[in-house]
Amino acid sequence: MGGPLEGLRVVELAEGVAGPYCAQELSDAGADVIKVEKPGGDRTRGWGSRKRGDVGVAFLSANRGKRGIALDPDSEAGVELLRKLIAGADIVITDAGWSAAAALQYDSLGELNPQLVYCRFSEYGKGGPWADQPPYGELVAQLAGDGTGSLGAIGEPPVRMATDIAGMYAAIYAVMSICAAVYARDESGGQRIDVSLFGSILVMRSTLWVALSNPDEWWGFHLDSYIKPPDTGYHCKDGAIYFSLARTGPEQREQLYRELGMDWVEGDPLFELVKIDTGGGGGRYSHLARPVWERALANFTVDEAIEITRRYGGWAYPKNDYEALVAEAQARHVGVIEAVEQPGVGTLRQVAPPWDFEGTPAAIQGPAPQLGEHNAAVLAEAGYSEAEIARLREDGVLAS
Amino acid sequence: MSNGPLAGVRVFDLTMWMVGPWCSVQLGALGAEVVHIEQPDVDWSTLGAGVPPLINGTSVGYIAWNMNKRGLSLGMKSPEDRTVAYELLKTSDVFLINMTPGVADRLGVGYDIVSEINPQIVYCAITGWGESGPMALLPGADTPAQYVTGFATGTGVPDGDDEINRHFTQMDATSGNYAAQAILMGLLARKRTGKGQRIHVSMLRAGSALQSVRIGEYLGSGHQPQRLGSGSQNTAPDRAYVCADGELLGLSVTSEDQWRGFCEVIGQPELASDPRFAVNADRVDNREELDGLLEPVLAGMVRDYWLMHLNRAGVPVGYPMTWAELRHHAQVLENDYIVPVETAAWGQVWTGGPPWQLSETPARMFSPPMPGEHSQQILADLQQQRAAAEQPAAARES
Repeated sequence: MGGPLEGLRVVELAEGVAGPYCAQELSDAGADVIKVEKPGGDRTRGWGSRKRGDVGVAFLSANRGKRGIALDPDSEAGVELLRKLIAGADIVITDAGWSAAAALQYDSLGELNPQLVYCRFSEYGKGGPWADQPPYGELVAQLAGDGTGSLGAIGEPPVRMATDIAGMYAAIYAVMSICAAVYARDESGGQRIDVSLFGSILVMRSTLWVALSNPDEWWGFHLDSYIKPPDTGYHCKDGAIYFSLARTGPEQREQLYRELGMDWVEGDPLFELVKIDTGGGGGRYSHLARPVWERALANFTVDEAIEITRRYGGWAYPKNDYEALVAEAQARHVGVIEAVEQPGVGTLRQVAPPWDFEGTPAAIQGPAPQLGEHNAAVLAEAGYSEAEIARLREDGVLAS
Repeated sequence: MSNGPLAGVRVFDLTMWMVGPWCSVQLGALGAEVVHIEQPDVDWSTLGAGVPPLINGTSVGYIAWNMNKRGLSLGMKSPEDRTVAYELLKTSDVFLINMTPGVADRLGVGYDIVSEINPQIVYCAITGWGESGPMALLPGADTPAQYVTGFATGTGVPDGDDEINRHFTQMDATSGNYAAQAILMGLLARKRTGKGQRIHVSMLRAGSALQSVRIGEYLGSGHQPQRLGSGSQNTAPDRAYVCADGELLGLSVTSEDQWRGFCEVIGQPELASDPRFAVNADRVDNREELDGLLEPVLAGMVRDYWLMHLNRAGVPVGYPMTWAELRHHAQVLENDYIVPVETAAWGQVWTGGPPWQLSETPARMFSPPMPGEHSQQILADLQQQRAAAEQPAAARES
């Protein structure tokens, strides 16, 4: 059975993380996605040193379940071919770096296909003085939107989130707005959507903007991020944990001190802070009290510390790296990871789509395409004869 | 009446804390009519998980996570109130709940009951860790989700430790956003199949999905992300550099065209063909050597010089901004990325405008309700519906 978006046709004219991940989500949900690449291919094919065979794994992780064609988008025949595909599509996903051809802009495509939902990613937004900034700056968007408020030490250069959050947040928002626009299509027709990396980072920090709106008192938002050093978890013998005693009573804490062998704590000059610190980085003084907790936790393994904390009513969880996440019993139970057969590479494990649909299940639709892998099939579907396809190949309009 | 794409869609929003409420903020921004259920006699300071600071005694959590909704007070444990809930569910399109597995059944709003009342309803449950398994009944929240999904992996300075994002809310908001996607997809499927369905999203899987590319790289290569400060895992040069005026320049070279443009601007075009730095994979492998060359060059001019010239060459550049800059910045204001919302109880508050711009069916942001603010109105509407439904029968009797 197909996913919730079965029957929808998507043409992706994008590269990097944001546009491709957005289209991959639509594919996981059952849409038919045709990824169009320029002759050199999506630049993530060559990304970094993390490769399987000669393909960047980043590419394989954001482009599964798509058919792929490769063509020169600046040639007349290439533009004509794309317009043929888009005339029969429901959704176009594109980005600021893809093609400047006027016939591939919304004004022209919307006339060609009035029911088309056209979504364009940009760095900073459709309007404003920075509308035409060069695309694909994950760091640029993180810095501008996230500043120095949540990562890195106060007064030191900011640290970036290792995950591409600007691109990922933008992709997630784009999927939402695309689905909403398709939902409204019967009444309002097709439309243009603009989503930016910068705007997505900013909206994800909405709670902070509200907190800065004339609060009764201010010493930093929520967990005091502006006044504390980086939070790295509480170190135990063999790793770190998060723990919080916010929901425990004084008696439970007394028992916890004893269980953790903290008989020395009353003589510690920081004991007053420990008494009001609920752990978990949550209190205003938790960074000062942390060494006291860590002196005790150093005698326990992560598993022991978690078991003891939970026994006295506290919250406790391991600070996992990816190896530990993948091994985590709960992660295996709920199917965080799934395997895909990637031709030429072998079995590749990836993060599964995050939704459970009981009526119309979502599922990984297949591997990522090789460059131009589906040129012939997609063109034949669009009504091109074998001779025409061969001609386009000879003329260099089609790559591979 | 809204002009948003979800105009006419009715959401029964039985949510608390952040992950569920944030999901329905998005649906409300898109034009859905969201009725947010609060327990009667609530404590204002602990609403929204009591997240500080407070504004006029209300947690900012409640204010930030309940925009674009109307408020109805219902005690789901009271039989009378439950009858009202069932009546509302008859005409709702979406049911949303974020509670520990089993709670919906205990409150009488499990899927079997709700789908019997309204087979067309799109029913979405959000949990922390999944609906079964060893962690299913443990509390789910942003911080635990960051820790368990490895969100800190590779984030930090090289000689430090992996850092948790201290702006806690990212995992809540991400999971709420994935749930909003799923609800929208469920509504689209309903158009095709004519049927509602049950949907579930956990923070564990949503938080992992947010890291799809990075976790995919780990699974595909066995390589844990490294702590590189502001540096990229995959591209170089792609980090923050100190300029002559001490200001930080964020610079992201992510394609070979950009690399050639960059080398021209810094007056070293020969670097572009240097075999150590010829293509991105080489630059990543020889990152330290490259930085050794670039740091003194970039420290030779002020930031504005680099912004102007690199921008002109098509290289993405930027710099860190604070709230003081952001709230007045033309780029933010002209795109409505941070917008003022007028409220009766809390004055003017600022919040993120949705990051999407829809050309035909624009989004909207409006004040959160005080808990139960619209109870009377919603109950009166129900009364009217009841009367309308009974009228033909009454007419027959007379």
